[in-house]
Formats: sequence, C-alpha cells, structure tokens
Amino acid sequence: MPYLSEIQHRRVIEPNGNEVGKLADVAVVPQGQFPAAQWAILTTPSGEKIIRWGDLAQEIGHFRLRSRLETTPDAQLPSEALRLARDLLDKQIVDTHGAKVVRVNDLQLSEVEGQLRLVGADVGLRGLLRRVGAESLAERVAGLAGRRLPRGIIPWHLVEPLETASPDAAKTAAVRLTIPHAKLALLHPADIADVVEEMTADERVAVFQQLDLETAAEALQEVEPEMQAAIVSDLPEERAADILEEMDPDEAADLLQDLPEERREELVELMEKEEAKDVEELLTYPQESAGGIMTSDVVALGGELTAAQAIDELRVKKPDPELTYYLYVVDGEGRLDGVLSLRDLVVAPPETKVNAIMDPHVLRVDAETPKEEVASLIAKYDLLALPVVDARRKLIGTVTIDDVVELMLPRGWKKRSLRSIAR
Amino acid sequence: MIRTASAVRRRARIRRGTLLAFLAVMGPGIITGFAGNDAGGVATYTAVGAHYGFAMLWLLLLSTAGLVVIQEMCARMGAVTGKGLSDLIRERFGVRWTIVAMIALLVANGSNVVAEFAGVAASLELLGIERVVSVPAAAIAIWALVVFFSYRVVERALFVLVLAFVAYPVTALIVKPDWDAVLKGVVLPTIPAEQAALIAALALVGTTITPYMQFYIQASIVDKGIDRELYRFARVDVYLGALLTGLNGFFIVVVAGAVLFPSHVTVNSAADAAQALGPLAGAQSKLLFGVGLFGASLLAATVMPLSTSYAICEAFGWESGISRNFREAPVFMGLFTLLIVVGALVVLSPSVPLIPLILVSQNVNGLLLPIVLVFILKLAGDRALMGDQANGRVSQIVGVGTALLASALSVGLVVTTLIRG
Repeated sequence: MPYLSEIQHRRVIEPNGNEVGKLADVAVVPQGQFPAAQWAILTTPSGEKIIRWGDLAQEIGHFRLRSRLETTPDAQLPSEALRLARDLLDKQIVDTHGAKVVRVNDLQLSEVEGQLRLVGADVGLRGLLRRVGAESLAERVAGLAGRRLPRGIIPWHLVEPLETASPDAAKTAAVRLTIPHAKLALLHPADIADVVEEMTADERVAVFQQLDLETAAEALQEVEPEMQAAIVSDLPEERAADILEEMDPDEAADLLQDLPEERREELVELMEKEEAKDVEELLTYPQESAGGIMTSDVVALGGELTAAQAIDELRVKKPDPELTYYLYVVDGEGRLDGVLSLRDLVVAPPETKVNAIMDPHVLRVDAETPKEEVASLIAKYDLLALPVVDARRKLIGTVTIDDVVELMLPRGWKKRSLRSIAR
Repeated sequence: MIRTASAVRRRARIRRGTLLAFLAVMGPGIITGFAGNDAGGVATYTAVGAHYGFAMLWLLLLSTAGLVVIQEMCARMGAVTGKGLSDLIRERFGVRWTIVAMIALLVANGSNVVAEFAGVAASLELLGIERVVSVPAAAIAIWALVVFFSYRVVERALFVLVLAFVAYPVTALIVKPDWDAVLKGVVLPTIPAEQAALIAALALVGTTITPYMQFYIQASIVDKGIDRELYRFARVDVYLGALLTGLNGFFIVVVAGAVLFPSHVTVNSAADAAQALGPLAGAQSKLLFGVGLFGASLLAATVMPLSTSYAICEAFGWESGISRNFREAPVFMGLFTLLIVVGALVVLSPSVPLIPLILVSQNVNGLLLPIVLVFILKLAGDRALMGDQANGRVSQIVGVGTALLASALSVGLVVTTLIRG
C-alpha cells in the first residue's frame, strides 16, 4: 500500500459489502521518525466521519469496516494531528537534506510491523504522473527509450512541514504552530537563510521564533538585507532585540539602519546595555562609509604587554576567528600604534614587549572613508582587515575582508533576485 | 497571534505617515499597468480604432472595469495568503486542475511572446531592418541579458522608451476628435456580427485583461511583503495601474479612430499604425511609434518568458531561478529558452503580416481568459482561504460578468468562423 494518492478515494464498505462512503484522508500525529496512521476520515452521504484507523481493514481495491458504520465509534482528532491530504499534499515542505523548499506530489506510506506509517514525501516527477494516472504509461514510454523514471522521495525524517497560516479555522493554524522546527535548526545557518527566503512572511516569523538565539542570529545575518528588515519588523520586539544582541555588531547596525527610526530606537532600547552601545556607535556613521560597515569588536593589545601576557589575554578574550587576522597595538589612550600577526606573537620570545615586535607602519582609514575606497585598499595591499580610527587616531573598529567582499566581485556575481519583476 | 504589539505600533505609525506609506507600497500595480502597454495592446487598440472608429469603446470600458476588479482580487489574495496565484491553484485544486491552469497560462503567454517578437520585428522594419536580422538578434539578446546580466539594468532603459506612447493623449488633444461621437461609442454597445469584428473585440478584451497580469500582480504583492495591514495602501496603486491600462487603450483607440478610420486605413504593418501619430509628429511619426513599440515589445518579451517559467515551476515545485544553470533547474531554463525560441520562430516565417498576427495572439489570450478567471473567482471567493477578506458580492458579480463577456465573444467567434468555413 505504497502511496496516499492510491488509497485516497477508495470505497469503504461495511462487513456485509454495503458501500457507505469513501476514504477522504488519513491523519497522523507528527511525532517520531515515521508517524503511524491513526485515524481515517471518511466521506459518507451524511457528511464527514472520523474513525480510528484500526477500525478499517484493507482489502484489494477497497477498505472494509470491522463493524457497521453506525456502531463504529466516532474519533476525535487531537489538535496536533496532521491530515495528510489536507495539510501536506500539494503543500510546500522543507527538504532538510537538500536544504530547499519543495512541493509534495504524493506521500509514501508503508506497512511497518503491522502498522501503516508515513515514510516519505514524493516530490519527483513520478509523483506528479501518478496523481494524473499516467505513471505506468510514462514508465513504459521511458522504458522504450531505455531509461527509467527517476524517483524523488524524501524520507519523512528528513522532511520539515512548513506552517501555513490559514485564517480559516484557528484549529488548523494551531496544529501547524505546534510543529517544532527541530530539523531545520540542524542545517547550516546559510542554508536556513536560503530556505527561509522561500517562505511566506508568517512562516519566516515562526521559524525565527523557534530557532535558538545563536542560530537565529547567524541565519538572519545570511538573509538578504531587505528581507532581514521585514523579518525583524514582524518579530515581537523582545525576541528581535535578543536576536540582534547575538549578531555581529556591524551586521546588527546595518540591519537597524534599514528600519524606520522609531522601530530602531525601540529595539536598541530593549537590547543589553553593552551590545546596544556598540551598535549605537556604529549607527552614527553613514552606511556607505568605513564606519558604517566596520565592526566595533576589535582585538587591541597594550604595547607594554609581553608576548606571553598578550597570548594569555587572547586566551581570556577568545576573539572571533575573523578578528584574529591582525592584532592591533594601542597606547594608554587607545591610539593605534602598530600591528602584528598572531604568528609574530607566537614565535616571539615570551618576554619580548609587544612594542618591539609590532610593525609601526600600519595602514588605517578614517570612519568617514567611503567603503569602495576601503575595498580597493584591502584588495590592493592583499589585506584581510583594515583598522578604522577616529580623528584622534583612536582605534574604533576594523573592516574585515568579508565586509567588503561583495564590492570586489565583478557585477553579476551577487545573488540576483529576479522574482519580484518576473513571475 | 505572533505579531500583536508590533502590529499595533506599526499601524499607528502608518496612520501618521499616510503619504509615505502609500509611496512605500506603490509600484506593483502601476508597473503591471505599464506592462499592459505591450505590443499586443498597442497593435490591438490601433486596429480596433482604425477599423471600427469609436464603436468598440464601450467594450474597452467594460474590460477596464473588469480589469480593475480582477487585479484587486489577485492583489488581495497575495496580501492575505502571502502566496502566488499558481501556488494557490496547486494547493487548492490539486495536480489535475493545476495542469489545466498551467497549460492555459503557457499557451496564453506563449502567444504573447509571439506578439512581442512581432512587435520587435514590426518596429525595426520601420527603421529598415529586416526581420530575419532583428528577430534572432532580439531573441539572443534577451536570453543572454537575463542569463548573464541583470534584468533590472535594462528594465529602466526600456521604460524610458515606452514613455514615447505619451504621444497618444497629446495627439488626441491636437486632432480634436468628435467628442460626442466618442461618448456615443463609450455608452452604446454595438458590434457588427461579422468574424473580423469579433476577432477585434475578443482581442480587445484579451489584451486589456491579459491572464499574465493576474499572476504578475499577485507575485509582486507577495514579493514586496505587502500584508493585510499594508494592503489598504497597495490597493490604491493596483486601482491606478488598472485604470492606466484602460486609459492608455482609450487614447490609442480615440486617436486611431479619429486619424485612420475616416480614410479607411487597414492596419497590416507598423507603418500603417504609425500614421495615427501623424498629426503630432508628421514625418517623424514612424520614429516615435517605432521607438515606443520597440521598448514596449522588448520589455515584455523579456518579462513574459521569465514570469511564465516562474509560475509553472512554482506550481509543480521545480527548481527555479535565473542564477541556476540547466542542470540545476532544467525545466525552468528549458521553458524560458523554449518560449523565446518558439516566439522568435513563429515571427520569422516571412509571409505572416505582423499586425494581424498580433491580433490573433491576443485572441488566444481572450479565449483562455475565462479559464483563468474561474480559478481566480473560486479562490478569491473562498472564505476558508480568505476569511473576512473573501470577495464581496460586487466583486464576484463583476468577475463572473467579465468571464461571461469573454466567453460570449469566444463562442461568437467560433460560431461565425464555423458558419463561414
């Protein structure tokens, strides 16, 4: 009994062979790897009737009730139940293995230890052909050409149903909201971002509600800028502020820049003091300048430290990998004096002063420097990052290569989004 | 349920900056209105005016009313469900009906692509470029443009060319048509019961309410992230866009009716059509008309294959996106390429007169319109899907009326063709 489309609309008969209706739908509770069919929804002349799946027996070409229709007890669908035909068939799901949104053409069911279970979603051409009754014909045609029709089945445990916020019954919406996005959370944040971009606004918000903060922040950073702003606008303020705190300050500042002023202020207010301060500083610079794209997280070492002390300090601070390309040396006032690499620090004798190993000729830019200029400096001198200083040469941040890499790519390399103009 | 506090606050903000909010969501409707200004539209409106004077203006009025209501329905569906039209058709009607709807869309849009290439050929023939040169060049340019560059860059340039059609309202003022006769044409429903007139009438309806526009407007609303709250503002834009389409058609018919109809010009080529702008531009009218037609045709010839491929792949869950290659998105890239190749090939057959070819293509649109409308009306009237935003009685009646109008003309055309044949 392999596919939903094959058993849906089959006749249902009473023990005496009297036809009482048709099988309209099968319901499961989406828990475990392969959820078992627990209820059958029948269409009878007197309307819809929900019964337990166990009250039906499958026979060739039809289903037989174990007792007469009137004596078969009505069952109640719990709120977390999923009706396969109504809630899944023809809907979009996330293939968590391929990290993309696909459409369910059919559902594969299988008898496992005497239990009919949902084992996979058919998203391939075969499923489509089966729905129009042309699978065997197409198979024969393909066979003549010496080919076989490819199967496109995603095992159920790799599938994540998408919420659809249908305004009809609050019941339906509630069903969907109880499905956790546990499988989605296992994807790489960049993949989550790709998947999320395919979703509707409501689904996106639901996903960002449920992901843990760190994953949500990383995924949000990967989403396209216009969509970032839309997502943050739709999330509850508290949640949005929590996610913003987890983001890199420069990414958070960029995102906030795209929001209306009021909303921006509300969110910054809700953020933790320290993160808010970083972000607010960044917000004061124009978006197109070094100050606007830099991050204020920066590794600054005092010149009087010894190499050993400096390494100890790094051990304590545990800076992000992209911030350890270069280590900056500052004086007592925080003014930029020089630069050294992690390698310089590690190979130097432990008692040497940082001052002595640093390179005092350090290339730097002002906060007001246009970002294109920053990009061309980084490209010209083959740098991984550039320090940003204020008017008094005080170190205020760094622009890393990943902040400007888009400006260096040839035109057309950027992800093109044509969907809005073309459909 | 999710967005309580923020929604309330956002609504408050919108009320304060009403004009700003309107400008922010404005666009999709007006752009769709512009898209109605393609080769099919210009050729059809010119032919209708030249051959029947002002007699069919009433039909244009009805079509525009239908367009306004139907575009609003689709935009509303986009705002309420957050999904495209082909998404909704698939989810609500299943695989079989989706195939019916998508074949209708493919054929309608395919015939539009033919019309756009005919427009490219006709406009460049005015400048002395043979179609064996212009059509393949345009096809290759469009394909390469979309695949290797960004569509948006060229979009703006072509929009500027389309502005040449502002010449029609200006000409209308110069030629001073008999406004009483115009009014009579708008109010009195008359139609000659002959095949040629029915072809013109069905083309008029089909080009004003192109099925393509419904898919396009809904997708734009979804992509702009316009939801229920913002929809109040977007609706104005949708209405304006639909009215723009009708108004544009009105001026072309009036100008052609005032300039070409009295001298019994049969519109077979772009040169014939260009004469309508004679009172304004004199000897330069060919250039003016050619530039406008070229921009409009090329623009639509680019958008049409793309949007068709997106809609169909979305309905069946196939990979789509222009940044993907043939191996990643075979159906998407295949459909896109096929539409361009077929469109160009049809136009290349040398004996086909271009303007009549465009009229036939718009008839195909008119014939298929009722099919698409049935899906739209069922979806937009569905309370389970749309809740309190489902179609009211007026929308539903106008929608059904439009479908019936297009069906009646289609049946009439088929009957007269059979009788004659």
